[in-house]
Amino acid sequence: MLLAGAVLMSSGCAVANSAGGDTGRADGRTLRVVLTQEPPTLEPCEASLTGTGVVVRSNITEPLVERDPTSGELNPLLATTWKQTAPRTWTFDIRSGVTFQNGAPFTAKDAAFSIDRAVNSDLACNVEGYVFGNDDLEVEAVNDGRLTVTTEKPDPILPLRLSFVEIVPRTTDTEAKVRVPVGTGPYAVRSWQAGAAISLDRFDGYWGEAPAFARARYVWRSDASVRAAMIDKGEAEIAVALDPMEAEKDTTVAYPNNETTALRLDGREPPLDDIRVRRAIDSAVDRDGIVDALLGGLAEPAGQLVPPGVVGHSDGIEAPRQDVAEARALVREAEADGVPTDRQITLVARNGMFSGVSETAEALQYQMRQIGLNVRVRMADTATHLQYQLRPLPEDVGPVALLIMHGNQAGDAAFTTSQYLLSDGPQSTFGTETLDRRIAEAGALSGHERQQAFAGLLAEQNESVVQYAHLAHMNGLLGLSPSIRYEPDSATGDELRLTEVRPAEGAKH
Amino acid sequence: MIPFLRKRVISSAVPLVCVVLGVFFLARMTGDPVDLYLPLSATAEQRAEFSAAQGFDLSVPEQLWNYLVNAAHLDFGTSLRTGQSAGSMVIDAFPVTLQLAGVTMLLAITGAVLVGSLAAYRPNSLIDRVASLLSMTAASIPDFWFAIMGVLVFGVGLGLLPTSGTLGGPEIWVLPVATLLIRPFGVLVQVVRGSMVTALSAPYVKIARSKGATPRRVVFGHALRNAVTPVLTVAGDLTVGLVNGAVIVETIFGWPGIGKLMIDSILQRDFAVLQAAVLLTAVTIFALNILVDVCHALTDPRVRQAVPA
Repeated sequence: MLLAGAVLMSSGCAVANSAGGDTGRADGRTLRVVLTQEPPTLEPCEASLTGTGVVVRSNITEPLVERDPTSGELNPLLATTWKQTAPRTWTFDIRSGVTFQNGAPFTAKDAAFSIDRAVNSDLACNVEGYVFGNDDLEVEAVNDGRLTVTTEKPDPILPLRLSFVEIVPRTTDTEAKVRVPVGTGPYAVRSWQAGAAISLDRFDGYWGEAPAFARARYVWRSDASVRAAMIDKGEAEIAVALDPMEAEKDTTVAYPNNETTALRLDGREPPLDDIRVRRAIDSAVDRDGIVDALLGGLAEPAGQLVPPGVVGHSDGIEAPRQDVAEARALVREAEADGVPTDRQITLVARNGMFSGVSETAEALQYQMRQIGLNVRVRMADTATHLQYQLRPLPEDVGPVALLIMHGNQAGDAAFTTSQYLLSDGPQSTFGTETLDRRIAEAGALSGHERQQAFAGLLAEQNESVVQYAHLAHMNGLLGLSPSIRYEPDSATGDELRLTEVRPAEGAKH
Repeated sequence: MIPFLRKRVISSAVPLVCVVLGVFFLARMTGDPVDLYLPLSATAEQRAEFSAAQGFDLSVPEQLWNYLVNAAHLDFGTSLRTGQSAGSMVIDAFPVTLQLAGVTMLLAITGAVLVGSLAAYRPNSLIDRVASLLSMTAASIPDFWFAIMGVLVFGVGLGLLPTSGTLGGPEIWVLPVATLLIRPFGVLVQVVRGSMVTALSAPYVKIARSKGATPRRVVFGHALRNAVTPVLTVAGDLTVGLVNGAVIVETIFGWPGIGKLMIDSILQRDFAVLQAAVLLTAVTIFALNILVDVCHALTDPRVRQAVPA
């Protein structure tokens, strides 16, 4: 009692000191967005992380070019044109009349600095690993309006890769990552109240079309039902990552988010080292049942790691239909040849990977048991799941079927295959020489040939490797207030462009 | 009183040290933070550099020694997740949890004393039965369910309260405090009732009644003073539990307190923040336990007499 009183008296109401709540009042000028978690940082070179990119990309900072999430085409942004001027060199013409939020003019030198900082530095930026691998780039500002970028090997999709590099002024720290960035985007960071909210102000010196809302304010709630309730209550205009149980409401909209779920089968360990067992698991999975019953119908059964819209996706690869009898026969055949099919397989899944993940893992366990395999489920947190997901893979843990969710936001299967299908890919357990060669060949192609080559090798995976039993191409679910208009696209989960949000006609605030 | 205090401090310090050391060692068994903080294609050199910069390349005893030396200078390291000082992150988060716990216990104790005393004054009456039923129900309701139902009913359905958040008027306290309050209140009502039933049947209370003391005087003037010791003990334990366990409330309602910070730090392998948070929480619980013991000793001389000098 004494303590309680003392705490009350001494603390006053430090927490309760501002009217209007965390998101502020619906004043028609502030766009209020509720995220799942607080961004760990707003460092632009970490913008390929979902938690950071959803706030930073194309809102605070911008890249040279941006990919249209629907058509896959590259659109000019801070670069107006670009072309391949030598086998290994691309030249970019830089937009004039652009200023940073600190008032400094944007030139090719800033672009060169930003690429160098993100890709060639010792900062260990996330964009470096995900988009560029270990290759460094030669970057040169020919003059204020022109930039050349040279790669170690010819790279037909370099402009696409550079769409992941957010441009920052030359004054940005090169020794350490910054917590709050300066960019050329339509909004500038106004304040970051740690643990509570991030506020942005419209940047009046923005070179493009001015956004409709003068301010934006981000808060975060980890519980999906609270995020949905904030839309219902009028406390936010946009809520990300809602649960399928909210799907029927007028205030929610589903959108394909480029994420694909699959079981990665460790081909190094018996019984998963036998292709008949891997094929049996692929045949045992009831994709339609999982999608309908556990994912609320908000997904499409999948037969490949990349969804429609990504270069390399093949409409000709259909999701396999469940065939328990065939799967049982394959397991028995392997067993007759001495494969230890009774050895326990650990099915590892990550908590919170998607809504219904634990139920999905249990359904997969049941379906694999149905065909005579011995499976246990292990639900893991992110860090533990990463230990199973990334090389070096854990030793002495037996055969593992890892439930993964792969998001290809770059729009090209090269980003998927280099990670998941190469024999020594960072997220692959095994492969074949044939597949490795086809991946290398496809990566050097462009246009229609590139599409055909990647589609062919994705089919080859299903025929001769079967490292993956694909489950579903997923959908995201967004909560939208009736007071706004916004059409989510496949990039929304990673890049929520505030300029695309407009007030609804006749909406009251 | 001094010998009593000395004995209590020594006996309470042992679990404090065990918790701090235990968390240090257990955290390092959960995995390498390098996997979480470096890109997929980080080179061996980059991984080694990162480990060296964070001191993860040292043996665990060496890391522990460095941690203790730095902690003695109030340097708790830097958060891997945010790059901020771990100490300042913890210092920012802790008052939020303390406020929640403080308000909750103030209301829980006040309410429980009133309801429990009323129930005890007339055992087996309708009031007593209703109070017992409600308190047992309250002590059994899961926090998570109560919080979500509160949001849906009072936030969305009736529109009376905000769904969540920490900025605003007094209304933002209602759902988080109610969620935290419900279990301690339920437990304390039962404890107060039990203690008061015993106290009210004591000879000195019968004498007070025979002398014509009013019911209020009998309950609050005579019986409560003697019934308060077990209530204080249980309330102290419950307060410790609140400081330690406000995780659900802070997570659901978006309160940036120490519970949520600890969970986030565990999930993100942010060892410096986790260690700082655990240390501060453990020291607070240590202080709370001493405070409860002192209150206990002040209200009951037999307690301090039982401790040999």
